[in-house]
Amino acid sequence: MRDSIHIALAGNPNAGKTTLFNQLTGARQHVGNYPGVTVEIKTGICHHQQSKLVVTDLPGTYSLTAYSVEEIVARDFLVNEKPDVVVNIVDASNLERNLYLTCQFMELGVPVIIALNMIDVAKSRGINIDAEKLSELMRAPVVPIIARSGKGMELLLDTVVQVGRDREKQWVPLHLSYGEDLDQVLEDMTPMIRDGRLLTDTYPPRWTGLKILENDDQILDRAMRADSELADALVTRSEEVTRHLQTTVDAYPEAVIADHRYGYIKSILRQGVFSQIFDVDRLYASDRIDKIVTHRFLGPLIMAAVLYALYSVTFTYSTIPAGWLESFFAVLSEMVDQTLPEGPVKSMIISGVIDGVGGVLGFVPIIMFMFFGIAILEDSGYLARVAFMMDRVFRFFGLHGSSVMPFIVSGGIAGGCAVPGVMATRTLRSPKERMATLLTVPFMNCGAKLPVLALLIGAFFSSHQARYMFLATLLSWSVALMAAKFLRSTVLRGEPTPFVMELPPYRFPTFKGLLIHTWERTWQYIKKAGTVILGISILLWAMMTYPGLPDDRLHEFARHKAEIMAAYPQNFAEEAALVGEERTTEMEELQDKLLLVENRQAEAALRHSIAGRMGIALESVSRYAGFDWRTNIALVGGFAAKEVIISTLGTAYSLGSVDPEESTSLKDRLRADKNWNPVVALGVLAFIMFYAPCFVTVVCIARESGSWKWAWFSMGFNTIFAFLLAILIYQVGTFITG
Amino acid sequence: MKKKLHNIFCSCTEKKIDHCRVRLENCPDNARPLSKACGCERFKVCKIRGDRKLCARMAQLGVLPGSEIELICPLQSENCMVRIMGSTISLDQLSADNIIVTPA
Repeated sequence: MRDSIHIALAGNPNAGKTTLFNQLTGARQHVGNYPGVTVEIKTGICHHQQSKLVVTDLPGTYSLTAYSVEEIVARDFLVNEKPDVVVNIVDASNLERNLYLTCQFMELGVPVIIALNMIDVAKSRGINIDAEKLSELMRAPVVPIIARSGKGMELLLDTVVQVGRDREKQWVPLHLSYGEDLDQVLEDMTPMIRDGRLLTDTYPPRWTGLKILENDDQILDRAMRADSELADALVTRSEEVTRHLQTTVDAYPEAVIADHRYGYIKSILRQGVFSQIFDVDRLYASDRIDKIVTHRFLGPLIMAAVLYALYSVTFTYSTIPAGWLESFFAVLSEMVDQTLPEGPVKSMIISGVIDGVGGVLGFVPIIMFMFFGIAILEDSGYLARVAFMMDRVFRFFGLHGSSVMPFIVSGGIAGGCAVPGVMATRTLRSPKERMATLLTVPFMNCGAKLPVLALLIGAFFSSHQARYMFLATLLSWSVALMAAKFLRSTVLRGEPTPFVMELPPYRFPTFKGLLIHTWERTWQYIKKAGTVILGISILLWAMMTYPGLPDDRLHEFARHKAEIMAAYPQNFAEEAALVGEERTTEMEELQDKLLLVENRQAEAALRHSIAGRMGIALESVSRYAGFDWRTNIALVGGFAAKEVIISTLGTAYSLGSVDPEESTSLKDRLRADKNWNPVVALGVLAFIMFYAPCFVTVVCIARESGSWKWAWFSMGFNTIFAFLLAILIYQVGTFITG
Repeated sequence: MKKKLHNIFCSCTEKKIDHCRVRLENCPDNARPLSKACGCERFKVCKIRGDRKLCARMAQLGVLPGSEIELICPLQSENCMVRIMGSTISLDQLSADNIIVTPA
């Protein structure tokens, strides 16, 4: 016996379900995923009349037949969890279609309360609904509400508590007529299912028969596994009537069943429940807006402007809080640096833990801004129009219209970030298109790649910098789309998902809703990515630190330093460090000499580390692309974050720590190095643009795809592709230039 | 009647018209796939073709033989936008090809 009342919120997409959920539970909600799928499950708590109400927000669905993951999830929740009450949110301005799902809840027999939402919108369209009459005819409580403003909440909760407390009440399925032919078959099937106890623990027998007639894959599969002989007999019966209907009315049973359900709904609405004052043909505001924003020529221009604005706001304003976080972690590092004694623990805390946690939290402002912008587009209804317009282009590459947002956020306009891009794929509902998007967005030029590209282009192609940067953006788009096409033709092969989606009417989003959406997605990122990333960050630190230089090498560097210092007066070095800018020429000379030794020591230490050894070992293969061991180490370091490539190259070339924003010395050093030339630089550029994504992105791919298999695949596929491209560039370039 | 039909299927090229005039069983002569309808008009659904899943999906959205649909945004290269039962739905070319309509 449960102490609390369990409520499931169910309804069509865009009926205001999530708004009602936010109204009921506020910030007291928990977001998780249904096992095995990426459909979110949200639960929250609210209290009413001394009763604790546990509210679950089910995914938006049009029916209870297994046409989509959302529909399966919603149905399984109802039959497995058996909530005390199902609050069915119905859009009052679109009653006929919304009652189709209500009708199916009643066929299943679940205790339903109809929350007649958006009655204000319905009134503004001249629609009058007699809630009492509807309740009487549907044999279920009907409560008019406005979820956005909270109007009608008290009455709704009173009704929920009243229905929820009556636990003795049995689920009573509604028996509709679906026409003579199907009714007869159902009458034959029901006793067979009941007597054979086929799935009767979970579903009502007539409902199981109905789903077999509707060719419901999940029910057919479960029936086959439970009792294949009986299931075969039922399927044979279903096939007979299907053939008969095909011959007589040229329709499948599911179409006939849907027709009768709509007929039942119409018959109820025509009994004085529904009336409309205005002309039904008139265009609503949404339609008028659509005439402009989806216009053949104006539409793409408006879309480009909106996406550019979202992108600019995200990456311009998020730098302010990102800067605060950066300063906070810099202060923290300094504190640890001054407090702890020199040694591996201090190094690990600063370079592994603080840099790792800082790396994760550094993305939080970008993610928050990006999700806030996406929430505005999503809640206002515009995102669906973007998908509508872009579907044509993306479909050619095996993607979906909704893929455009993740691509742009990841760096479609150079400077984005793949982490929020990967997370933005959540707006895609079709699984294969979503996976293809997820795996190809890291090909975009994210903000972290830009300083590296700027360094190499500045060093070797300084007279055509803008042109090369623009070409790099075009190349990233081309490669990402071609890679998507390749994946959709091979590992993610399958028919494209038909682009059939309801376009929600334009609405003003509620600020509370936007904040809740933004926060829940950001928190999920922090929680999910944070734990794994911290571990990987420490591992990378260890790889670039251990094994340390042997004692004899350390003594050698120490002796070298001592020799340099011996040529100057005693304590001269300490004084030079203390006087700051008022140093004499001699002091500067001493410091430069000492710095040179320290940089050589850092280079030797890096070369001696696991990452360094990997770099040297990889040289036997990487030389085909023109990469030397220093480049290899930098590329291994780039797995932590792409901008690390610059600092690692700086260390490898004995330049000490190099600021990615001010890398002039490194630029000169690379230009002067015998291992580097424009052809090598082009190969390295291509490799950096397309090789394995940074580990934050990899972790996000694993989380979002629900499997580490895809994360490994992403690393392997991208790296092999990037390496082959680099080899091609290097070999052809060397051949041409001689 | 001829002029009315011409208005409805205004920007169809000759080739498309030829293609449109495929005989459709159990449908009147002026029946056409929704994808070939060009004006923003009201239509009556005559038939849904295509695989069983598509027919079922259309049926659940209320796109059933006999139902009326309004073309808000004609097929722009691939997708079109229709209003049915008070909702706006976007359809790709494959789906629009399989919905056979007659002028309402």
